[in-house]
Amino acid sequence: MYKWFAVKRMLKGIFTYVIIIFIMSVLFNTVNEQTMRSSIEEQVRAETMRLKNMQPSALQRFQEQRRQELIRLYRLDRPLMERILFRTWNTITFNFGKSTIIKSSRGDREVLAIVGEAIPRSLVLFTVAMAIEIVVGIILGLKKAQKPGGSLDRSTSLITMIVYGMPTFWLAMILIMFFVYQLRIFPSGGMHTVPPPQGIMYYIDFLWHMTLPLLTLLLIGFWGIAFVVRNIVLSILQEDYIMAARARGIPENKVLFGHTLRTAAPPLITMSVLSLLASIGGAIIFEGIFSWPGLGNLYWIAVQQNDIPVLMGDLAITVGLYQVGLILLDLTYGFMDPRIKVGGKA
Amino acid sequence: MKFADFKYGLSEFWSEFKKERSGLVGLAILILSILVVIFEPLILPWKEANTKWRSIDYWQDNSAGAPPAWTNFFSKQKAAITVRLENPKDEVIEMDGGIKLATYTFDYDYTADKAPLDVIFHMIGHGDFPVQVAVERPDGQIIELAQRFEQGLSGQDIRISLDNDGRESVFTFIKSHESEEALKEYSSKSLRTCNIVFNQTREGMATEFKSLKGNYKFIVRALLLVPGYSEVEDPYTVVTGSVSGLLGTDDSKRDIFSGLVAGLKWALIIGLLTSAISVLIGVMYGIVSAYFGGAVDSVMQFIYQIVNSVPILPVLIVVSAIFKPSIYMLITAMVLFFWTGSVMTVRSMALQIKEETYIEAAKALGAKHSRIIFKHMVPLLIPYSFASMALSVPSAIVYESSVSLLGLGDATIVTWGQILHDAMQGAAILKGIWWWVLPPGLLIAIMGMTFAFLGFSMDKILHPKLKTR
Repeated sequence: MYKWFAVKRMLKGIFTYVIIIFIMSVLFNTVNEQTMRSSIEEQVRAETMRLKNMQPSALQRFQEQRRQELIRLYRLDRPLMERILFRTWNTITFNFGKSTIIKSSRGDREVLAIVGEAIPRSLVLFTVAMAIEIVVGIILGLKKAQKPGGSLDRSTSLITMIVYGMPTFWLAMILIMFFVYQLRIFPSGGMHTVPPPQGIMYYIDFLWHMTLPLLTLLLIGFWGIAFVVRNIVLSILQEDYIMAARARGIPENKVLFGHTLRTAAPPLITMSVLSLLASIGGAIIFEGIFSWPGLGNLYWIAVQQNDIPVLMGDLAITVGLYQVGLILLDLTYGFMDPRIKVGGKA
Repeated sequence: MKFADFKYGLSEFWSEFKKERSGLVGLAILILSILVVIFEPLILPWKEANTKWRSIDYWQDNSAGAPPAWTNFFSKQKAAITVRLENPKDEVIEMDGGIKLATYTFDYDYTADKAPLDVIFHMIGHGDFPVQVAVERPDGQIIELAQRFEQGLSGQDIRISLDNDGRESVFTFIKSHESEEALKEYSSKSLRTCNIVFNQTREGMATEFKSLKGNYKFIVRALLLVPGYSEVEDPYTVVTGSVSGLLGTDDSKRDIFSGLVAGLKWALIIGLLTSAISVLIGVMYGIVSAYFGGAVDSVMQFIYQIVNSVPILPVLIVVSAIFKPSIYMLITAMVLFFWTGSVMTVRSMALQIKEETYIEAAKALGAKHSRIIFKHMVPLLIPYSFASMALSVPSAIVYESSVSLLGLGDATIVTWGQILHDAMQGAAILKGIWWWVLPPGLLIAIMGMTFAFLGFSMDKILHPKLKTR
């Protein structure tokens, strides 16, 4: 039963997420509490400033009282284990609190709002890049697999290895240097011109800003995909049914795209989702080079401003997205390949 | 496994490996970089680049943001190259009353079209003495450039920079060549010392620079007043040109080539240590998990899945931002996530090996678990791990440089990522200082390529299924 498999997988994913968040709460407990205490102090000070006509002693009493109240509110007076569990619960329910410095585009200081508005920006960039990468990668991979050991296969495999350890952020720097400051055909960063143009120009402006980041991701991305596609397709092309299909006189393109790709689909999807996840886990900070205001750029800003709540919220969301990706991966896998028995009792 | 078996296996591997051209290239680069690390003290142009990378004093005589010296080759107007003049001709003349006059003469062959930016004299001084610096130009003219009286020194470094200390005397020098009217437009503050010292003497020399090529003699004289108390040691001179070194300098005057050489060993240490430890852990983990099976396997697989579903870089960033770890702590943190890479393959292979009859025989003979694992399973699986070891080196290097790029690297060492971070901070991209941005990243990419070459070649040999048919 696919339904039960899906539910089970999701529950397992949520459970894993809770455990990871719990470990992080333990690990970062001290620094979290420090920021919380200093934000309490800040709040108390702000409230005292608003008060007028008060005796110094009454003022002091008020401050002390507010401080105690807030400490109780954030449960800083409770035992260690309870504090950690409380923080874990808050993180899981996306209750990240307020940032210390960073504000969202609407001037909000809620961490959830700040991180939340960054998610779609990152997703649009990375999913578009991945989609193009997969198309180019599959076409190139099929071409490679048709003549293994040929000149195309060998040269592209060589490039795959050359870009294997190339840092995305470095390529981004080089491309900016060349395209932005030498040729002056792309903007240096950001998502829009300031102020953003209206109407259809808004989207053209957006695409114009997205071209260079996309180009960077593509230049590094599709080689690896092509290499894996080649290996998968190569092993499928040895199968008997492919030989049979060819013997029946089915056109080569149909053999490739119909028979081979259909069989190769599950591992290809796995690989694509995994490469998207890998970019969340690895290439994400390259956004900072383009000041593309997504999740990766948020790490840069949060590190520079030393904004711990935003850093924590960003991490929790990134881990969460990663989990979602892994769950989706397993779900589609079971869906794409009926040969994989899912759901326990077969 | 006996040594003879090992030797045989190795020679067999080598005969296969020899055919992989890319693998050989990778091996060659790896050996080359290990040689560079071993002979680092000889190669480093700036010997203390490792320890004094962040010291301002150490780099103060360089020019900031200077392009590499070889860019002269492509430009019509040759710029002067930064050089350090050592071992001057020294002469000590004893005068009446035990006073000594120490004279040090530095020879400088000047062939460029642009003047150097500065000429800086250094010496270590003891006691009290006046110092005088003069230059004898190729046309025979002698300019007295600077004078100073040093007092109460006890081994401090004396630094005389012509650009600062020589302006007054240079202004006096051009008075005899320029007309009164032209002189009104200049003051000792608006003149660059070197533009006059290396200029052809003529009317209009203050405005236009025409290089006077030839041999310059910089003469440093110190009058050692009290014998035994006043002393001068280790005099040397730096001619600061507007191009410098193999790969230029950054905007805090640091020699980039030195930084890159110093960073090489860290890249190797980070990459190799992280991948070796984590792959070994992964292999052991996979074997133990497969060998014991049952509940042990379930628990171990659960832990594996949790660790495997953590995005590495974000966690590394946050951990480094909060704990400011040293490089070895960072390596440890990376190992904590990297070990999962090889677990699944090893586990599935170990599951097969576990069912072999010789394992059953060993069990029947009463062999201990540890004996079976280490004698019968590990030796079979270790070779397979070498490929994944090589393939996980690049990501360790890239992760470290990403963390450093955010400015969270270990501040006691020099890594390529940190150089890139400084380049970002110094707006090198905007200013077009390509020699600051291009080489560090290129080296990271080459390191990655090297290990990819090695890894893919080993993979091909160790997993024959992937061979091109």
